[in-house]
Amino acid sequence: MGLPLFSAHADPGPSFWHYADGAGIAPSSATHHDDTPHATTVIAVRYDEGVVMVGDRQATGNYIASRDVRKIEPADHFTALAISGSAARGIELLKIAQLSFEHYEKMTDSALSLEGKANYLSPIIQRNNLTSPLLVLPLLAGWDDSHRVGRIFEYDGAGGCYERFDFATIGSGSPFAEGALRLGFRSDLDREGALELGALALYEAGDNDPSTGGPDFVRNIFPMMITVSASGFQEIAGPEVGERFRLINERRTESRGVAGGSLR
Amino acid sequence: MSNYFYVSPEQLIKDRAEFAQKGIARGRSLVAAIYDQGVVLVAENPSASLNKISEIYDRIAFAGAGKYNEFDRLREAGIRWADSTGYTYSREDVDARALANYYAQHLGDMFTEGQKPLEVEILVAQLGNKLRPTKLYRVAYEGTISDEPRFAVLGGDAETIKERFAQSEDSLQSLTVTLRNASSALSGPDRVIPTEELEVGILEDRGNRRTFVRLTDEQVKELLS
Repeated sequence: MGLPLFSAHADPGPSFWHYADGAGIAPSSATHHDDTPHATTVIAVRYDEGVVMVGDRQATGNYIASRDVRKIEPADHFTALAISGSAARGIELLKIAQLSFEHYEKMTDSALSLEGKANYLSPIIQRNNLTSPLLVLPLLAGWDDSHRVGRIFEYDGAGGCYERFDFATIGSGSPFAEGALRLGFRSDLDREGALELGALALYEAGDNDPSTGGPDFVRNIFPMMITVSASGFQEIAGPEVGERFRLINERRTESRGVAGGSLR
Repeated sequence: MSNYFYVSPEQLIKDRAEFAQKGIARGRSLVAAIYDQGVVLVAENPSASLNKISEIYDRIAFAGAGKYNEFDRLREAGIRWADSTGYTYSREDVDARALANYYAQHLGDMFTEGQKPLEVEILVAQLGNKLRPTKLYRVAYEGTISDEPRFAVLGGDAETIKERFAQSEDSLQSLTVTLRNASSALSGPDRVIPTEELEVGILEDRGNRRTFVRLTDEQVKELLS
């Protein structure tokens, strides 16, 4: 790998993806589809001072491939990126996103705006999904430091990027999580309310979708819960997450598995 | 149609070296020094946005003296090289020596084969860890690469500044002391450089992956007071 110097008209600028693509470093598209691990539920909920994200930990092929996958990662200090679909392509997308945001920052000595980061991923998702059966659908949520607000961006299969002002879900457990979110969401949620609602929605997804892993009390593996606010990306510690799911589980045991009532 | 006259290689190299030295001497100088916790880079720079010092990678920083547009292109190429090397292999495989060698090759090529030599001097600094030592690599306009033991001075007035800095500091000091020494070595005895015209970046372990930090004017002021 030589020194990547360009003349002014051919310079890829501060975009790592365009450079890597032109230099043949980025992975090319695949046309063959193996049953590689996939499936997910990840939820993002907006609250008054940021966003909450909750994600399950299970990777599913023909059987459970892994029980402790991390599907939400910080793309940078103020941005969380979650993946669903092909695990390999999702991890690749995460890597490209993390690298590209940092690359831009180093090249220009200024950080991308949150909307800039969300838009940046669109053509990458489009290229992958339209040329490969290994689909990937991410969910981006973060703290918009210039507008002092938490924001959520979801994508469609063709790379279309849409901002959501309430909540968003990705993965096979989405319908069940979405149901709980629709009933429980209020526009004046605080951090605690958003965490509680997020956990409950994920519990529902894990309860109904075979490809979503709920809380695993046997192995002590719990869904990931994170917040992004003015103080940046913060992961909620394992014991606290475990306690939240234990409470939901107890309530559900009391009602003998009946989900109704005041959002149990 | 142009005529070509014979020019001896000695004369050619002398002319080119003079040309490059003159260009570099027009810019202001900078000092990079190792202190007890890391590496500090101090540049005299009247501009607050056209930087001479930059982050390259987790433990690697860059500084350039001379023509801004020329060293900034090299800086960008360095970031690209580091990010793509880390992406292809692993973050721990990104090594400052390899980058300094690429700069040396490119500057050497431009010096002998280019339309004109580049009027720049480059510094690549690396903060050491278990795998690699702390290093300062200085690359001159004609591609000479040197491994500077404790500090390096780049730019026009390098020899004088080097002497001043060497006199003030003969062992590893704290950031405050090293920054003070660097600043007074740059300014000389007859003037004081206003803090807004000092560009300062450090490489220091603070528990984060990325070790480069640009110090604000206020931070520099506080350290120098």
